[in-house]
Amino acid sequence: MLEIKDLHASVEDTKILKGLNLNVKKGEVHAIMGPNGSGKSTLASVIAGRDDYEVTRGKINFMGNDLTDQSPDERARDGIFLAFQYPVEIPGVSTTNFMKTAVNQIRESKGEKPLDAVKFLKLMKEKMKLVNIRQDLLSRSINDGFSGGEKKRNEIFQMAMLDPKLSILDETDSGLDIDALKIVSGGVNKLKSKENATIVVTHYQRLLDYIVPDYVHVLMDGKIVKSGDKTLALKLEEKGYDWIDAKN
Amino acid sequence: MKNLDRIGNRISKEKDKDLRDKKSKVFKSINKALNYYKEEYKYTPLLKTLEKEFEILDSNLSKESNSNNYLKYLTNIKGYQIVIIDGIYQKKLSSIPDDISVNSFQKLDKNNRNIFDKIYHNSDDSNSDIFSSINSINHQDCLTIMLEKNKILKENISIINLIDTNNVCHHRKLIYCKKNSACSFDEVFINIGKNKNFSSSVSEIYVEDGATLTYYNQQKIEENFHFNSTNVFQEKNSTTNFFTFSFSGAMIRNNLNIKLKEKNCYANMYGFYALKKKSHIDNHTTVDHMDENSISNEHYKGIMDEGSKGVFNGKIYVRQKAQKTNAFQSNNNILLSDNAKVYTKPQLEIWADDVKCSHGCTVGQLDNDALFYLMSRGIPKNKAISLLLLAFSNEIFSKINDEDLKIKFEKIVMKELEKFNDE
Repeated sequence: MLEIKDLHASVEDTKILKGLNLNVKKGEVHAIMGPNGSGKSTLASVIAGRDDYEVTRGKINFMGNDLTDQSPDERARDGIFLAFQYPVEIPGVSTTNFMKTAVNQIRESKGEKPLDAVKFLKLMKEKMKLVNIRQDLLSRSINDGFSGGEKKRNEIFQMAMLDPKLSILDETDSGLDIDALKIVSGGVNKLKSKENATIVVTHYQRLLDYIVPDYVHVLMDGKIVKSGDKTLALKLEEKGYDWIDAKN
Repeated sequence: MKNLDRIGNRISKEKDKDLRDKKSKVFKSINKALNYYKEEYKYTPLLKTLEKEFEILDSNLSKESNSNNYLKYLTNIKGYQIVIIDGIYQKKLSSIPDDISVNSFQKLDKNNRNIFDKIYHNSDDSNSDIFSSINSINHQDCLTIMLEKNKILKENISIINLIDTNNVCHHRKLIYCKKNSACSFDEVFINIGKNKNFSSSVSEIYVEDGATLTYYNQQKIEENFHFNSTNVFQEKNSTTNFFTFSFSGAMIRNNLNIKLKEKNCYANMYGFYALKKKSHIDNHTTVDHMDENSISNEHYKGIMDEGSKGVFNGKIYVRQKAQKTNAFQSNNNILLSDNAKVYTKPQLEIWADDVKCSHGCTVGQLDNDALFYLMSRGIPKNKAISLLLLAFSNEIFSKINDEDLKIKFEKIVMKELEKFNDE
C-alpha cells in the first residue's frame, strides 16, 4: 500500500529525514518510535503532504501512485488520513459543516453523489458512537475551546467519517488521560480492517498496549535504525533509546 | 479649496430663510472643518483625489425624469422600500408601511417640521468634516423618516439610492425614532450612470427613550467615490445596531458618530470589508459615553487583497459623568497580498474612573496551519480558503438578528469571498 524509498526531506535548510525506507501493506499496523527531534512528526506531515517540508530525494508510493507532487487534499481523497498531534482550532467553521464538505468532496472525486442531509446525519450519528463524542460538540467551531481529550476524539471521529485506507496517528496519545486513551484507541481498533493500514507515531510504549502493532520501527536522526515486532517496543521502554545508540 | 466663493452665492439663493441661515452658518465655519482634514484624512486623500476628477462644489441639479425608467433597477427588491434617485426622494416608486411617515423635509407640516428642526443641521459633523460641510450646503432634498411612539415595525425597510448622475450627488436624511419604537433599515447605493461619480450621504438620527434602531449599510460601488456620515443621538434605555459592509469602491469614507447622551444606552457597531483591486475603505467611528451605565460594542473585520487599502480609526470617549461604562472595540484584518495595506488606530479617552473598556487591533495573514488542516481532509485549496475567510467573517454576520436579512447578507458575502480564492 505505502512504499517509501530513500526519503530525504528538509525544512528550509535543515535536513530532517535522511534516507528513510518503509513498507506498509494493507491490514498492517506499524508503530514508529523514536526520541524527540528524530523526525517522527516530519514523516507524518510529509506523507500527508504539508508543503512546509521539501522532499529533496526519494519517493513515496501510495497504492501504486507517486505521491511526491500531490497536494494534501489530493492525498486525502486518495485515502490518506493524518490525525494531528495538535489539532488546529478554527473558529467560525463547525465540525459538522467541515465534515459535510470533506465527505462530499471525497465522494465527488470517486464519482459518487453527495450525501443528502438525512443520510449525512445518519452517518454522523453512527460514527459519533465510536468515540463517544457529543453532537453539540460537533456543531461548535472546529476544536474551538475543546479539551485535549475532546480534540483527539474529534480526530478519530473525522477518521471514522472519511474511512481512509491509510491512517497516520501522530502522537495521538499525547495529552490524553487513561480513560480518553482507552476511548480513542478503542475507536481506532474498531476502524481497523483487512483493507486498511495504520501508522502509529509515538514516544511511549503505553499506546501500544491498546493499539497493538505488527511492526515497530525505531526512527533516529532521520532514518529507521531498527525494526522488529511488538517486543521491540517493550525493550525500548525498559532500556531507553540510548540502548540503540550504543549498539550502533 | 478652490471656488469656495461660488458656494456663498448659491446659499444666498436658498428661498427658505431658516435653511439659508443654517447653511450660512456652516459656510462660515468651513475653514474650521478644513483644519481637521489633514489629520482626519491622513491615509485617505479624498479631497485631493476628488478635486482632480470632479467639480466637487457643484451640486447635482435635479432633472425632471420619468421615474418609470428606473423600475428595472427595483424589480429584485421585495418588501417595503424607500427609493431615492440622485438624492431626491421618489414617493411614487416607494412603498411604505402605515406605521411610519416618510417625507421630504420641504413637504413636512408645521408640527413635524418642528420636531425635525431640532436635529436638522444640528447633529451632524459639519464643523469637523469638510465633506459633511459640503453636503450640508449643497444637498437639495432632505428625506425625513419618523417612527411614532410605541410602533414596532416587524419588517425591514430597504432604502435604495440610485445614482444616475455623472458628477456629484448629495444625499441627506433625518430619522426620528419616538419613544419605545423599533425599526430596521438596510441601505444601498447603486450606480447606474455611465461615468464615475462622487456621492455623499449625511444622516442625522435621533433615538428616543426605549427605542431601537437597526441599520445596515451595504457598499459595493466599484470605481466610484463615496462619503457617508451617520450621526446618532441616543436617549436613555435606547439601543442602536449599525452594520457597515463594504465590498468595493475607489475611495469610501464612513463616519459613524454615536452620542450616548443619557443613561442605560446600548450601541453596537459592526463592520466587515472585503477588498480587491485598488479599493480603498476608511471607517472612522466615534462613540461618546456622556452619561452612566451605557454599553458600546464595536467590532470591525476586514480582508484585503491585491492593491487594496483599509483604514480603521475608532474613538471612544468616556466622560467624567459616565461611570459604570462598558466600552469594547476591536478591529481584525487579514492581508492576502504583499501590496494590500491597512492602517488601524484605536483611540480611548477616559475621564471617569469606574469603567470597563478594551480596545485592540490585529493584522495578520491566512492561517497556514488551518489551511493545511482543512486540506488534509480532502478539501481543495480554493474551497478551504473560502471556508476560512467565511469563518473569519462569521463573527460579524452572526450578529444579525433578523433571520431573513442574515441569510441575505450571508449569501452576498459568500459570493464576494469566492472571488478571493483564485490564486
